Amino acid sequence: MAPDTAYVRRGFKLLRGSGVRFALLHTLVFVISVAAVGFSAEVLVTHALKVQAGRRVEGEAAELLNEFRQYGSDTFRKLIDAHTTSGESRLHYALLGKDGQRVAGEHLVARAAALVPAVDASPVAEARLTGSDSLLLVRRLLPDGTTLIVADDLGSVEDVEDVVSNAFAIVLGISVLLGLASGFLLTKGVLWRVEAVTRTAEAIIAGDMTQRVEQSGAGDEFDRLATSLNAMLDRIVQLMANLQQVSNDIAHDLRSPLSRLRQNLEHTRTHPTTNQAYATAVERAIEEADVLLATFSALLRISQVEAGSQRAVFQPVDLSEVVETVCEAYAPDVEEGGRILTYAIVPSIRVDGDRELLAQLLANLIENALTHTPRGTTVRVNLHSHGPVDPGPALEVCDDGPGIPASERDKVLRRFYRLERSRTTPGNGLGLSLVAAIAKLHGADIRLSDRAPGLIVALCFPPPPALNQATRETAPLG
Amino acid sequence: MKVLLIEDDAETAHYVGQGLTEHGHVVDHAGDGRDGLFLAAAEAYDVMIVDRMLPGLDGLGAVKTLRAAGVQTPVLFLTTMSGVGQRVEGFEAGGDDYLTKPFAFAELLARVHALGRRRPIAPIETVLRVGDLEMDLIGRKVRRGVRAVELQPREFRLLEFLMRNVDRVVTRTMLLENVWEFHFDPKTNIVETHVSRLRSKMDRGFDCELIETVRGAGYCLRAPRV
Repeated sequence: MAPDTAYVRRGFKLLRGSGVRFALLHTLVFVISVAAVGFSAEVLVTHALKVQAGRRVEGEAAELLNEFRQYGSDTFRKLIDAHTTSGESRLHYALLGKDGQRVAGEHLVARAAALVPAVDASPVAEARLTGSDSLLLVRRLLPDGTTLIVADDLGSVEDVEDVVSNAFAIVLGISVLLGLASGFLLTKGVLWRVEAVTRTAEAIIAGDMTQRVEQSGAGDEFDRLATSLNAMLDRIVQLMANLQQVSNDIAHDLRSPLSRLRQNLEHTRTHPTTNQAYATAVERAIEEADVLLATFSALLRISQVEAGSQRAVFQPVDLSEVVETVCEAYAPDVEEGGRILTYAIVPSIRVDGDRELLAQLLANLIENALTHTPRGTTVRVNLHSHGPVDPGPALEVCDDGPGIPASERDKVLRRFYRLERSRTTPGNGLGLSLVAAIAKLHGADIRLSDRAPGLIVALCFPPPPALNQATRETAPLG
Repeated sequence: MKVLLIEDDAETAHYVGQGLTEHGHVVDHAGDGRDGLFLAAAEAYDVMIVDRMLPGLDGLGAVKTLRAAGVQTPVLFLTTMSGVGQRVEGFEAGGDDYLTKPFAFAELLARVHALGRRRPIAPIETVLRVGDLEMDLIGRKVRRGVRAVELQPREFRLLEFLMRNVDRVVTRTMLLENVWEFHFDPKTNIVETHVSRLRSKMDRGFDCELIETVRGAGYCLRAPRV
């Protein structure tokens, strides 16, 4: 009976979980609102009916007062008795003597009037005698010293009150049922979606990184949550792959220089020579170690940039200023090396980014051009506010050197990848990888193309937000 | 100078401590953030060298605490944490300089010297003078003796940095960071080339060279001995 037990387990889970609390709360809110509506309806209805009855008795009392003035005491007394016995009116009457004893009309009304303190021209008062309905009564002192009492039976009002109360009691009962049912259904629906997330998370914890949260396709909040969670998972998978890649790279490419370092040190130890030779060997070892450390920091840099945490602190950067600073810094040295660096920079181009990384990006591109071209090469740096096809700022570094064969252009952006003919030049094959990583971090496209002869590296940045364009400043000249 | 070294790695501490002692400085060493904090609060130091990753209270926290307590001693962070954001964190916590491990001792020494002799409250200077060299910071003009020296803006900044650190060694990295704001290590000799251009502009027609190359360390602008 596996399905049954599973069902029961799920039932218990529902009772244990936040579902019950949610459903009860839901019902409670439901009940409170229905009760509030019922209570106020009853109060309002009763009040309206009583006001009506009050007007009726006051009106009748005023009319009777007129009749008294018209007919005098004796006739009036008979008139009251006639009213009482005829039963034509739904109102009740009594006439009290100066001593407060009944002289005409109903005994009941007279007894009820005795319960209410006698105040002249008092407003409508309510009195209840045991064993009968409440009476709403008004008293008027007549010129001959007797007191006229006119009363209305509130029994009908109380009946209405009862009907209203009963109706709302039934509604309340139904609403409790409805509230509980809808609460449970709603909760169950929500819990099911939450469960789906939990199941996925558990599968991922168990090691299956390919699991993703199911979506209902309704496009509701849960689908949005699922989309975000899935995007987050994709990012984590990507970061993990990165990490894996870095470890592999380190294993492959740092091992050989390390063994070279070790060999040299061992050779020096086993072939003792002069102090001078020792000093040279130590110097060489330090140099080798420095190269290794440089490679190591370059790798770290790349993975840091690829991790993308820097994006959180992006600020508007004056790209023109950065490009100019870097070009100006490199120009004299390029010249000393027998090459030419020219640059054409459109001023005041801003991008969102990290100034330091952008400077490093261009420096790497220039250094790359210098390392892989013969003397006499011209390296040209251009910065335009927009590319030939792209709307965003475009940075280009071109040279008229040997270029990169079309088949190799994608590969040079990989870590440690080096062209066959470049194996003998200094470098670690990480410069362009870092360029690619920084470009990607800034959302820039990197394109390598043939300049025939030479190479063009073009970076197309995303177009700046309108705000940046609006706040552009005039560029300082020079 | 009296230097406080807060570093938990015994070997690095020994290496730094010994090196600084050899150069005539007095070094106190604390092995963790708490001890370092006590020492720093109790005694007056010229410079503090603080590792970021320390047992107990970390370097950032220790420096933040000291700054909050009004201790203004210059702080050099010495750390393996080399990320761009991490350096910014270091400065925000109240650090004055940031050096990433591994480092050359000459680099550390130059930075400690630069920090240690920083005047506590620098009066606003308008003219810098070293020997017969005069720099007008407002008019952006440089004269050596009676002859005006024409400099590019970047060369002006380079010379200004050297003049502000007169008689102290400044390393290539310090120049890259302070003059060009480059926080990476260029593979080419851009600093060397700029310094040699600056030198040729300043020293033309004079027999004494003002900018001296310190082998294995960097450069030093020396006031000529009279």
